Amino acid sequence: MTQISHIKRFSIIDRVFHLFLMLTFILQTATGFSRLFITTGWGKKLSYVFGGYETALLIHKWVGVLMMAGFVIHTLYLLKRIDWRNLGDSIFGPDSLVPNHHDIKHLWQRILWFFGLGAPPKLNRWSYWEKFDYWAVYWGLPLLAITGLMTMYPFVTSRVLPGWSLNIAVFLHRAEAILAVAYIFIVHFFIGHLRPTSFPMNEAMFSGSVPLEEAMEEKPAWVERLKAQGELKKSAAAPPVTWYRIIYYVFGYAVLICGVYLLINAIIYSRQIALH
Amino acid sequence: MMDRMSSLQIWLAGALLAGVMLLANTASAQEEVASAIRRYKAYEASTGYYEEYEVLPRRQLPLVSVPGVRRGLFPYSPTAASVRNRSRLADSHLGIKFYERRRCEACHVEQTRDIHTVRANLTCRQCHGGEPVASINHYYSPLNPIRRHAYVCAKCHEGASASYASYIVHEPAAGSSLARTSFPVLYYAYWFMLILLVGTLAFFIPHSFLVGLRELLSKKRKAEK
Repeated sequence: MTQISHIKRFSIIDRVFHLFLMLTFILQTATGFSRLFITTGWGKKLSYVFGGYETALLIHKWVGVLMMAGFVIHTLYLLKRIDWRNLGDSIFGPDSLVPNHHDIKHLWQRILWFFGLGAPPKLNRWSYWEKFDYWAVYWGLPLLAITGLMTMYPFVTSRVLPGWSLNIAVFLHRAEAILAVAYIFIVHFFIGHLRPTSFPMNEAMFSGSVPLEEAMEEKPAWVERLKAQGELKKSAAAPPVTWYRIIYYVFGYAVLICGVYLLINAIIYSRQIALH
Repeated sequence: MMDRMSSLQIWLAGALLAGVMLLANTASAQEEVASAIRRYKAYEASTGYYEEYEVLPRRQLPLVSVPGVRRGLFPYSPTAASVRNRSRLADSHLGIKFYERRRCEACHVEQTRDIHTVRANLTCRQCHGGEPVASINHYYSPLNPIRRHAYVCAKCHEGASASYASYIVHEPAAGSSLARTSFPVLYYAYWFMLILLVGTLAFFIPHSFLVGLRELLSKKRKAEK
């Protein structure tokens, strides 16, 4: 029997969706911040990258439309992924991202483990914080899309809603964007890059596989389940090749640096914008 | 068969009656558009394109209203606005000492912080008009909600409607007590989003930090073994 070194974690479609989201998200952050901070020196410089205040908005709108399309395609993909004959298992099973009672248990066990009061939780394929990551984007995107569309078409909006709903739309768009940016560039980046088990980079989202050893440590219930079902061999994967690793390390770090740059400058310059 | 027909008719008539009673009534154009030639071009240089209605929405939609202006028999009329509103003077600055030597922002500081002023660099007079500056609810003020959309907003936002013009330009600070009374939806949206933001970060930042710390410790322990 050959030794299994890696097991599959993300399909190629999952990874393409993540890549798509990375690119569109960073673009939306940069163009959006260039407009939010336009009255500061940094915001002006940032807007030059996108051809100025107006062109930045144009890019922001088109990338937004692209994201909406991505969201719709992703939802269709989700519907296709559901096993309709086995609905309960498909939605609340261990391979699903839908939160279930195990997540609450795992959270409690993990808090105890933080303070040395118990063993770490035996996580299955998706941990509760990974599920949170997923659903945060899933509800954030429609909110940004709806408020974005409202401000894109103010006349149409004011025909069905009072004009002051545009104040609310602009506010919600901005607040949700700040929430998303803060969460992704602080929490998501820390989990993916800085914490000891993933440092310097958690490669699973690019290579699609995780080392079996790491999976046994991080997600013991998942590996056990695969073993019990006799599917461990089927989900074996080859370790990522070096040239591919180089590409995604360079790319991943480029996006990481952009994100951290935007976040730090946004925090610095947030004092200079007095807009309400 | 007949029974069914007549009951259907009764239902239809009932639905029609309910529709007439519950849905907003139609409103015809007002006298501002007295002739086909003398439109708003008489006041502002514009392409002259507005929505299909010129003064009031052709048909008032149930969800669309203008804050501070009551709907009903005489919608958008100044007499229907709230009585406590004192902003109906022909010269709103009458009697202010040294008025001619002062700048607007000397008193109206809060009103200089919105997008229209900061981003589009609009001056106060571009919307509020020249001296004497009338109160926004004065009957002949360009900012009176009955004509604001056409006389002011449409100068830049071609096609602005009365509903569109109810966008609050001088938005109160979203979390302030002023917003609570004057713009409650914004106020509650602000506090909802703030609690969500602070709550999410207050949970996940210590959470991630503790994960990192704990993993570092257990790795060290393993290495020692």
